[in-house]
Amino acid sequence: MLDSATSAVTVDPDAELAERFRSGERAAFDQIVRRHQQGVWHLVRRYVGREADASDVTQQTFVRAFRGLAGFRGAASVRSWLYRIAINCALSWLRDHRREEPTELADDALTVASPVLAQLMGGQEGARLRAAIVKLPPKQKLVLELRVFDDLSFKEVAELADCSENTAKVNFHYAVKRLREILGDRDAR
Amino acid sequence: MPGDPKRDRGDTELLAAYVDGVSELSLDERRRVDDLLARDPALRADEAATRALIHDLRELPPEGQAPDWAALERSIHEAVGDTVPRPWYRAWRWIVPGMALATAAAIIIVLGVANRAATPGPSTSGSAQLTEIAVTAEGDGDRADDTLALWLDGAIVEGELDDDALLDDGWLDDEVAPYDGEPAAISLLGGDALEWVETLDGEDLERAEQWLDSPRSRRGRS
Repeated sequence: MLDSATSAVTVDPDAELAERFRSGERAAFDQIVRRHQQGVWHLVRRYVGREADASDVTQQTFVRAFRGLAGFRGAASVRSWLYRIAINCALSWLRDHRREEPTELADDALTVASPVLAQLMGGQEGARLRAAIVKLPPKQKLVLELRVFDDLSFKEVAELADCSENTAKVNFHYAVKRLREILGDRDAR
Repeated sequence: MPGDPKRDRGDTELLAAYVDGVSELSLDERRRVDDLLARDPALRADEAATRALIHDLRELPPEGQAPDWAALERSIHEAVGDTVPRPWYRAWRWIVPGMALATAAAIIIVLGVANRAATPGPSTSGSAQLTEIAVTAEGDGDRADDTLALWLDGAIVEGELDDDALLDDGWLDDEVAPYDGEPAAISLLGGDALEWVETLDGEDLERAEQWLDSPRSRRGRS
């Protein structure tokens, strides 16, 4: 009873910021940028590979969001709306640049930035996990990454993957199952 | 006791979601997976392995060297500028009421014109003819006394009573304006031209009066 009452009065900070922006408060957009630029950057980084390119695509994402936020009707969460723009920008960037740098993406994608963290995690184990993720079918890979790395709810994952929430859950299950199979095969060697 | 294999398979497909976000499952889904786990040791082993793998995935450090977030924020701020854009539908939101107002105005004008055209005016034949002469009775005294209003094909022309050129054809052609007052006195004149009126002398008028009083004339008029 208390829970439902509490959740009823909970206001999504992003929705509130979007509303303030729509009413003309420019600074509200800066707060949205501050809240989401890291998430958008990491999401984009998985697509484009290089940090500098990820920063460019992130900037492009927020420029598009700035132009579109006044017309954003709130059907999805601001975060999943932003991530959708980010994915579109990243895919568009890939279309434009794929022919220029075909091999750099895969190499860069497997690197771990912080040596300390890599050591803590066991660098080889991390690399194995990432290599296994690359082998997943595209839909399963997308769902797994959005869920595990971007920390989205299944509802948000479903919005971004253009599927039902239940399908997102099932895809997540098969992604994990497939990863276990890939990693299990490697262990057996 | 084994359950429905099809349903069990569907419930098994929710295992990873159950492990990673049990709160995002409905109560029914949660109960079904709980049920399966309670009676299937192999599934319990799967659950443990799945939990371990998802934990490892979540512990993976983010890829790439993180940029200077403050610099990225500044670059975004500079790229978008300071003016909050207006959505397209706000820029166009006056279109519908504006068009409705314009349509209403057009309808009023058309109805007004049609109504004026339908009002039976004085008879006309051929080109513009003088059919009625009225002296306006409205307004303040002096002006009303001095003003003549002539109905011409449903329109009014005004002139001064002492204006010598009042009955001049050229004057009649010049001024044609809508009239919304009421004529107070009316006299009728007929014929295509009025010049002949000026040629009448006392004798002619007398003859005309005699003719009007004659029985022949009365028969013709009845």
